[in-house]
Amino acid sequence: MIWWLASLAADALPGPGVTAAALADMAADGRLVSIVWRLAAFMGACFAIAVVLGVAGGLAIGMSRAGDRGLSPYLAALQGMPTSMWIPVAAIVLGTDVWSLGAVVTLGAVPAIMLGTRTAVRNVPPLLLRAGRTLGESGTSLVKRVVLPAALPGIMTGVELGWSIAFRCLVAGEIFSGALSGTGIGTVISRSRQTGDLTEMMATIIIVLAFTVLIDRLVFSRVQSRLRTRRGLVDAGLPH
Amino acid sequence: MSASVRLDAVTQAFARRGSHRAALAELSLDIAAGELVAVVGPSGCGKSTLLDLIAGHARPATGSVTVGGVPVAGPGPQRMLVFQEHALFPWLTVQANVEFGLRSAGVAPDRRAATADEWIARVGLADAAHLHPHELSGGMRQRAALARAFALAPQVLLMDEPFSALDAPSRDRLHVELQDLWRETGTTIVFVTHNVREAVTLGDRVVVMSSGPGRVIAEVAVTLPRPRVVESGRVVDLAQHVRGLLDEADQMGISAPRHGRDGYVSI
Repeated sequence: MIWWLASLAADALPGPGVTAAALADMAADGRLVSIVWRLAAFMGACFAIAVVLGVAGGLAIGMSRAGDRGLSPYLAALQGMPTSMWIPVAAIVLGTDVWSLGAVVTLGAVPAIMLGTRTAVRNVPPLLLRAGRTLGESGTSLVKRVVLPAALPGIMTGVELGWSIAFRCLVAGEIFSGALSGTGIGTVISRSRQTGDLTEMMATIIIVLAFTVLIDRLVFSRVQSRLRTRRGLVDAGLPH
Repeated sequence: MSASVRLDAVTQAFARRGSHRAALAELSLDIAAGELVAVVGPSGCGKSTLLDLIAGHARPATGSVTVGGVPVAGPGPQRMLVFQEHALFPWLTVQANVEFGLRSAGVAPDRRAATADEWIARVGLADAAHLHPHELSGGMRQRAALARAFALAPQVLLMDEPFSALDAPSRDRLHVELQDLWRETGTTIVFVTHNVREAVTLGDRVVVMSSGPGRVIAEVAVTLPRPRVVESGRVVDLAQHVRGLLDEADQMGISAPRHGRDGYVSI
């Protein structure tokens, strides 16, 4: 509704009707599927690496007091800084190709995941650690069987934050240097820039919006609600 | 399976901002294999420190701690701690919680499940095996914690006020169940509590401690027939004797008159 009113006021903004037509068009010639597919593949690969790096790093600094004191200020600074600032740097150092944007997207998400993991690990109740030790666990298997599961809800928060940062990095990268990610969004952006026609752009925005909502519904909110239900953080009328 | 516990001239101090606070003044204690010893004393008398030392979570400043003749080097499943809070893993079902330690010990999956089933049934949780800890009542949680501890067949079971957060009916029932489990398994049990009647109900022997710094002020043998309950007249009488010993040391600075049975006050 707001969109429709806005499109009446501003001539350059295509209305919902036109955009829907463009969307149908894109769906018909396969561009829609191709964008979603390439978006999922690119973000999936980058983010999987970011989660592994971030959780491993967060565990390492969360478990060691000295490492935490040394590294956390820098991490906090890194996280505060808009990660898209790395895009020009990466473009020059690594060249303008998929790998350079991939590196920025990946590394952009890492500090948030790392900080989330660190905090979650440090908030694991000492009682559970003592219980784990008294039951015969120590070292890496204690981390695997007690620390990680106990910290999982907190780690998930960091992961979600990392995801949104990674997505911002991606789009900033597309704007900066056109088609280098291979998702097709950059191509659309540079095409709209040249023609001044925003119809395809609006349709692409809708696609990206739908993609993020889908990921949130299918992945994050499902995982979160499962974690909460299992741990009794949802009031479901307890039996006592 | 059970083992003797021996603390020999053990001292322990806590350093905090440079100042040393003695938690235990030279303490010696001998516990025979298969004995159920209750340790009672006011808060801050070093009862929990005593358990930590035996469990291996802490090391004594001086003196030695041996279990079954072997010096304690660190925490391990042979000396199982049961905490005041149940300390069950909230992300695991009762079944998986009980199997946790068996898995650490490298027991094969089918034997693991069988042992866990057996102990879960023995503490009366067979219907609740698939539930998570938050779905259980306080008493059921502590039962699950007991099953988890007994499933590992520890040589020594160290219990740190395990029933003090429970409602009275659950606690009374668990007192009887613990005495049964102890009789069946013959495990050495060190049961720490601040509740004098609980100590007299459970212990073969009650070790009375006082604070500032922690030391043993008396040992009282309990020869009443088992299973005992806290309300039993003879338990109450003996508890009053122990209470008197604690009052003599007057740790809490309480000087309320205690005449006859009605004067019994639990701190």
